Order: sequence, then structure tokens, then C-alpha cells
Amino acid sequence: MVAAPDECDGRDAAAKAATMSEIHVFNHHAMATQFQVRIADEDKTYAGQAAQAAFAVTDDLESRLSRFRANSEITQITQLAVGEKLRLSGPVFACLNIARKMENATRGAFSLTAAALKTQPTKPLWSLPANEFTIRCDSGRLEFDLGAIGKGFALDRMAELLREWSCPAFLLVAGGSSILAGNAPANSAGWSCGLGDDHSPQRYRLKNCSLSGSGLAVQGKHILDPRTGLPGTLRHRAWALTDTAAESDALSTAGMILREDEITAVVGKNQDWLVFLQEKENWRHLGQRQMPPEA
Amino acid sequence: MVTQPINRREFLGTTAAAGAGLLLTSCSPKAIVKKASALSKINIALIGCGAQGQVLLDSLQVIEGIRLAAVVDIWDYNRNSNVRRLKENGFDVTGYHDYEELLAHEKDLQAVVVAVPDFWHAPVTNACLNAGLHVYCEKMMSNTIDGARSMVATMRKTGKLLQIGHQRRSNPRYMFALNRLVRDAQICGRLTAAQAQWNRAKTDDLGWPKHSDIKPEVLAQYGFKDMHQFRNWRWFKGLGGGPLSDLGAHQIDIFNWWFGQTPKSVMASGGLDYYKNHDWYDNAMVIYEYPLAEGVARAFYQVQTTTSAGGGYFEMFMGDEGTIKMSENPGITKLYREDRAKAWDELVAKNYLSASAVERPAGDADKVDVRETAPLLQYDIPVSFNKKIHQPHLENFFNAIRGTAKLNCPADEAFASEYVIHKANEAVAAQKMIAITAQETEA
Repeated sequence: MVAAPDECDGRDAAAKAATMSEIHVFNHHAMATQFQVRIADEDKTYAGQAAQAAFAVTDDLESRLSRFRANSEITQITQLAVGEKLRLSGPVFACLNIARKMENATRGAFSLTAAALKTQPTKPLWSLPANEFTIRCDSGRLEFDLGAIGKGFALDRMAELLREWSCPAFLLVAGGSSILAGNAPANSAGWSCGLGDDHSPQRYRLKNCSLSGSGLAVQGKHILDPRTGLPGTLRHRAWALTDTAAESDALSTAGMILREDEITAVVGKNQDWLVFLQEKENWRHLGQRQMPPEA
Repeated sequence: MVTQPINRREFLGTTAAAGAGLLLTSCSPKAIVKKASALSKINIALIGCGAQGQVLLDSLQVIEGIRLAAVVDIWDYNRNSNVRRLKENGFDVTGYHDYEELLAHEKDLQAVVVAVPDFWHAPVTNACLNAGLHVYCEKMMSNTIDGARSMVATMRKTGKLLQIGHQRRSNPRYMFALNRLVRDAQICGRLTAAQAQWNRAKTDDLGWPKHSDIKPEVLAQYGFKDMHQFRNWRWFKGLGGGPLSDLGAHQIDIFNWWFGQTPKSVMASGGLDYYKNHDWYDNAMVIYEYPLAEGVARAFYQVQTTTSAGGGYFEMFMGDEGTIKMSENPGITKLYREDRAKAWDELVAKNYLSASAVERPAGDADKVDVRETAPLLQYDIPVSFNKKIHQPHLENFFNAIRGTAKLNCPADEAFASEYVIHKANEAVAAQKMIAITAQETEA
């Protein structure tokens, strides 16, 4: 039970200070995985209320973005005939705009229609008419799968809310594959984030940025090359470090498919992006973004 | 058995499920959109931008033929963030502090959608009806029977439309299941019982961002003790009606709608057994007795706010030949046939049902063919629904304003349901069976 604010305010100041110094951890199931909110330097009760509000954001986005919900906007998009438009909600329109940007930036290695070539002879085409807040089906059937961007987009929206709630020191985790770090906890250089399995030796102190990883360890060869419709994985794992989680989520997926020279070209045009590749026990990074401090 | 498996009202907002495409080929969604967009715009405002207001706002942004002119909320944080987001998404809206300010400034409105806390429903709705506006008001109509009765009286006096937000009444799947399966096909046989539930996991009380508090004098002006009560009004007597009202209202309304009458009695048990700083019961179990023409049917309802166990939220109608378990979540919907009932293959052939496989004909009684074990057939309702769940009910309201539809849940009909929901809370308090006459359920 959460105490009423007047009860909070009346608590022993020392006890309240003690909860402020902890990192409070909250869990929630959404988007077929586990989401986690960690909040530092805040009263536990207030942190819990903020986390609850952030999880509500995730649930709301899932209802809009899931292709497994009969009345989600993504499902409605799938049902558009060529030439038809659908008015989109603000969050979905924003997410699709980012997806389109990432598709262009990654030379098509990230795409919402990665699996469409399994069922259609050519890649379906779509557009977001300016100022209409609609999506138009230009060809084919828009079988969107937001599995490589939706969780990251949710983290970005959760972060907006936590900042609104004046909880800037947070770490958000989506299924272990995407994290979004806010401010560092007090007296810390950043949240300790590793590349790879538990207790990875390759760790960085992150703040106000996002790290995502893609790989074959959990779901096998699940990453299709949207340009061919075939499994296109060139490596076991790839990570991306960017400012936003939607970008890192999408870029890490593209990092599994792009050749190394292609990755170099992609991150060369986006100074805020880093891609990490692993060769046996060694990690290399590609990109101009300043490396975060090692943990 | 009728030959038209789905009528126009059931179709609006519906798409065909796999295997049922023949149902809808003469009436494509594109045609519906064209027709709606040709209609003149109805200017509307949303009063109340809280959690339920957000749900309605989602639908209001995609419904054709309306213009959202204003949003209203006494909480600056909520109102301003909604105005900002709406403007970012292309809507030219104005924010107002309360409904009186709205009515004083917006002179071109035809309708309002009301989603303020329950104890404000009657004052806001009555004021808007008296101002000449049509009103869509969220359920419960009011936190008191008298408040709800006053809304029906104002609706009748002004001649304006008053739709109550029992949105399942416009859900094409529910309409299809009731009209085609229960009534036409009598798939359940004689209805003998019903069961419904809504169990939710324990949740903490809602908080609010720092520096977003409403001033104490403003809270007091609008009937709230403090910010905590403002954010968690559903739990407090005098403001809301507790879980039986918040969650049970939808489902107990389905009992009345599907049985076609109100119950003759209610008995209930419940209590405030878990949460320590609420007024209303956090759990309740209720039994209504419906004197149907073919015999008594009893309906059990439970609401829990400390566990999500029990299979989600649903309304199940049970008869001597079959059972339909309905839910807004299609994944929970199930149909069961009793062994004694005749096969449903005819219903499948007529697109009243979809089946997981073709049912094998009975054949000659003196012959049998032997092969692999056959799985039990699974049946489903062949109507899927791809809009937001409140959208058809709102569309029904706007179409009624245009004169092209009849309200699916006018206030006088909703009153009967809401009366027996209030009686359930009363039965919990009284710890005894309460008799209900049909006459007292009329507004």
C-alpha cells in the first residue's frame, strides 16, 4: 500500500533519507518481456508511483503497437488496401517516423517489413503524408513488426515521463536487450552496463544514452535481412550506443546484418552513434561518438 | 434461423475474421469511411482528461466527422499536456479549467463527452443538456441513484441525447453474439446461469508528479479533500462507487442486457479487507436472481482488486445446451457445446460460428471408420473487431446526433442497470438479500 502524501511527509526524516540513497527497482511484464525501472536518489514511495505511471505508458504503447492485438493500430495498418490511409495516434505516428528514418539511415538493414518478403513477392511500400498524421499504403500489405524498435521507443517515452516526474536518475531496461540510462545516481559516474552475458568484462558507465544489443543466443537465427527476406545475420552479436532507445534498438538489429564497411559508413553519417562488434573475447567499436568511460 | 448473419449495426466498426469473408463483401470499410467523411462535422469537447478521458480521447482522434474543439480539466498538468499533445498531432483545441468556463466560451458545440469523476457526472451532464448539448457520459451515471435519475429527467426535459458509456452495447462482437447466437440460434438452449468477473492485481495508489499539485482551495472547491483523494477518487465514498461500480458496472449491465430484464433480488458479500486507506470495498461477490420467462437464472459476479487470477475479465452465459464466454478481449472468448445439444455444423455453414475444423457428419449409426484420435472442435465468433473498444459506442452517439442511428445505451435504459449495481453495494453493506422490483428500476 502506498501511503498518502501527508503520511509520507510525516515520516521520520532519517528513514526517508535512507530510502533516498537506495536504487529502487520495479518490474513489469509488457511486450512479451520484462520491463524494469530503476530509480535512484528518490523516496521509495514516490519512485514507485513514478514507475507505475511509466509502466502505464508501456502498456498503452503495447496496445497501439502490438501486431497480436486485433484492434491495435499496427493491426489496422496491416488491413489497409493499396491507396488507403489510416489516421494515427501521436505515439504511433512518432514511432513510425523514427522507423522510417532508421530504415533510411541503415540502408534498409532495419525495416518494419523485414518479414514481409516471406509472404509477398516484393517489399510493401508506405508513406507518412506530411501534416496529415496518417499512414498510406502505397503497395503490398503492410505487415509491420515493431519487434526491433517498439521496446526502445517505449523506453524513450518512459524516460520522458520520469523526467516530468522529476526523477532524472533512472535506468530503464526492456527485456535485457535495450537499456536507457538517465542521469547517473549520486556519487556515480554512470550506470554500469556490460556488453553480453551476465557480468560481462566489457562494461561502461552510461548516463543519458541508450545501449541495445541484438544476437542469436535467445531466438536463434531470427533476424531476417529486410532487403532479401532471408536470414542475413553476419555475426553472433552486435550492440549500438545512441542517444535514444528507439535508435539503439533499431541500429543494433541492423548491426547484425550490415557488413563492417557498411556499418562504418552508417555510423560515419551519424556522429552520435556507436556500434560494438565482438570477436571472440575482444570487442571493437565503430563510429565517432566519444566512448563512455569503462566501468 | 435468419438468413442475414450480420446486420448493419453489427457491421459498423467490424471486419470479417478469416473464414467469414462472405459476410461482409457487400459492405466494405472503405465505403463506410466515405459515407462518414461526407457528413458535416460535429463540434465537440471532452470534459475530463483523466485515465478514462484518455481512452475516449484516443477514439475521438480517429473518428470521422467530428471536430474536437476543446478539452477540459481542473488539473493544469493534465489539461496542458493534453492540449500540447493534441496540437502536436494536428488538432486545434482550446483548454478550459472547468465545464462552466467551457460553456461560457464555446458557443458552437453540439455535443460533449463527459469523463469526470462519478460524483460530477450529474451536475456536468445536466448543465450541458440544459445548455442545449447532446451528452455522452461515462458510466456510472452518478455515484447516487438520485443523481442518475436527475440525468434521465433532464434528458427528457431537454429532448437532447444522453448516451451512457457502457461501450459493450455497441461492440459488434457482443451485438452479434446476443442477436444471432443467443436469440436467433438459441445456442445456449435454456439460459440457467451467468457468471462474470473482473479480477485485477494489487496496485499502489496513483501518485502525481512533483510540482503539479492542484491548490488546496481549488481541490476543496471541486469536492476533494486533498491531491491523493483527487487522484484516487474511485476508492472514496461520496466521489465514486468502488470496484463494483468501476468494473462491475460494465458487466452487470451485460447481465441485464442479455437477459433482457432486471433481477428480482440481489445478495452480496464483500468488504474492505486489504487496503487500509480506502472507503470502498476492495472485493465483492454478488448473486442476482433473474426471473426469466422459461425459469429462474442466477448470475454470479465477482470483482477482486488484489489478484489477477481467475482468467481475466469476462461475462459467461450458461444454458442447458451451450455456453458463451464473452470478453472485450477476443482471446478470452469461448463457446462450449453441451453433449446433449445438436451439432453446430449448420451454424458454421451459415457463418454464425467459425470452427477449428470441419465437423464430420454423423453418418450411419451402424458404421464407423477408425483412424487417429480426433481433437475436439473449437468454435469462435466469426466477427472480429479492429477499432479501439470505445470507438463504436462513440460513433453510435455521433450517428444518433446526425439522425442516422438510435442510441445503443440511452440514459433511461442505462438507469435500470445502474440501479441494480447500486443495490449490490447496498447488499454488501446490509449483509442480506435485497428485493428489487421492475418498477423501481425505471427512472
